Amino acid sequence: MHMLKNARLQKAIFLFIVVAPAFAAYVLFTLYPNALSIYYSFLEWDGIGAKTFVGWDNYVRLFHDPFILRALGHNLILLVTVIPITLVISLVLADLLINRAFKENSFYKVLYFFPNVLSLVVIALVWSFIYDGTFGLLNGILRVLGLGGEHNWLGSKGTALLSMIPLYVWCYAGFYVVIFMNAMRGIPKSLYESATLDGITHMQRFSKITLPLLSGVIRVGVIFLMLSVIKGFEYMFIMTQGGPGGATDVISLYMFNFAFGSLNLGQHIYGYASTIGMMIFVLLVGLKLILDKFFAKDSIEY
Amino acid sequence: MRTGISSWLWRMVLFLWALTILLPLFWIFYQSLKTNQAFFADIWAFPEHLEWSNYEKAWTSLGIGQSVVNTLYYVGLSLLISLFVSTVNAYAFTRIEWRLRSLLWSIIMLSLFLPGINILVSQYTLMRALNLTDSLNGLVLLASLPVGAFELLLLGSFMRSLPKELDESAFIDGATLFQVFRKIILPLSMPGIVTIGIFKFVGLYNDFLGPFILISDPAKYPISVNMYNANAMMEYKADWVTLLAGLVITIIPTVIVYVLFQRRIIEGATMGGVKG
Repeated sequence: MHMLKNARLQKAIFLFIVVAPAFAAYVLFTLYPNALSIYYSFLEWDGIGAKTFVGWDNYVRLFHDPFILRALGHNLILLVTVIPITLVISLVLADLLINRAFKENSFYKVLYFFPNVLSLVVIALVWSFIYDGTFGLLNGILRVLGLGGEHNWLGSKGTALLSMIPLYVWCYAGFYVVIFMNAMRGIPKSLYESATLDGITHMQRFSKITLPLLSGVIRVGVIFLMLSVIKGFEYMFIMTQGGPGGATDVISLYMFNFAFGSLNLGQHIYGYASTIGMMIFVLLVGLKLILDKFFAKDSIEY
Repeated sequence: MRTGISSWLWRMVLFLWALTILLPLFWIFYQSLKTNQAFFADIWAFPEHLEWSNYEKAWTSLGIGQSVVNTLYYVGLSLLISLFVSTVNAYAFTRIEWRLRSLLWSIIMLSLFLPGINILVSQYTLMRALNLTDSLNGLVLLASLPVGAFELLLLGSFMRSLPKELDESAFIDGATLFQVFRKIILPLSMPGIVTIGIFKFVGLYNDFLGPFILISDPAKYPISVNMYNANAMMEYKADWVTLLAGLVITIIPTVIVYVLFQRRIIEGATMGGVKG
């Protein structure tokens, strides 16, 4: 026991038992695979046979692959719709919950966040049931309203991708309601009070005081949403498999299908999949850096 | 008068958003208690007779029972190990002085910058090379042993806020590092540890892609992969009410955890969101 009185020895033992394995695991399971992906992107490899080094071939293929652009286009459509819609809805809901004293607000605060703890598979299956062509909830609602109600939302090319937008908004809005509510609580009351004395309306108060003060949080929200939408390809994987006819094929799903999908007759194409992964990596990091630069000056400290 | 009307309109907005969440879940629930014929006949009608046997069928024939056991094992063990890893590492990184501390800290924080989606393939081949695919213990290892930046940030800031004199005076009184950790730091950090634990639970329980790639033996499916497979099989079986019952079973633990811990979950989400 007196051995352990030695502080230096204690420290060494503690660090060795505690920090070393967890850090080694982090390097092995997180950092090393990142390096490995770079290496794989230069290979032709089906995962079983020999690895053939093919230099920049996969990258050349990437630039000539028409499906890459189609998938990126789908991502772009989702990003430019989901991000603003989610932000507007959650800003409005947060403002209503914070600045209007309805008695049901405390219940809504809890309810709105609930989709965030639901399993991805559950959300995908619930929304499959909503969109189903014969027994779907959405068609049922449309029939009640006398607006038709025979449409197969995920099964037709025109509506499959657009049908994903409400799903993403539904999943993510609750989280930003909470984030924005907290940010709004942090705004000094005195700012509102002096504005009210000047005869400002609720709308003006929202657009002239609340919004500008929230721009820093909104920037973080944009980055988070961007990442979530691009990473959230599992919804398409479960609900549409990228179909019909590639209408919901997004870039991450395209990559995933090369590696693990059944589209290539069960063949695994790890090399090219890794190359697409590298492209996604560069795109995401690049977008994040641009957003940081673009928005940084707007955020206001008070 | 004008404010009265607009106030009611805004109230409707809040109500409608609530409805988008409650209506689908409630609808799924009462559909799960119908027969398949009634399910196809009229999607609005309430079930005439409650078919609780759908749940029994889902539990056995869809294999929900087995996958619940698998999930409990995988989530439970991962939770224990990862909470231990996070807590001791947060302690080592915030309250002990050592040489490589700031270097290792910044290497771990690097992961906040890595999107993670690009390593699906390489992580899979790595796990395969280590013989850890098709094994729940492999999942546990991957989910719990690597130290996480998010946990370290959250628990670290918690431990940093505890006064320095706490451990210093204990050391002077002759306590060992281990005793200080166990008797002082650990109990005082409990609120932070619980928050991380809830988050980890929600994340692990809901995780789909990792288990989907790494587990191919149906006897080892966690519940999320099992539901995905059950749904894929419905193309041939068309037994939708059983699938819906399975879906409800999958949702129940989430609802329970959420009802019990909603305050902490919502607070924790804000902490994570700001740190991100």
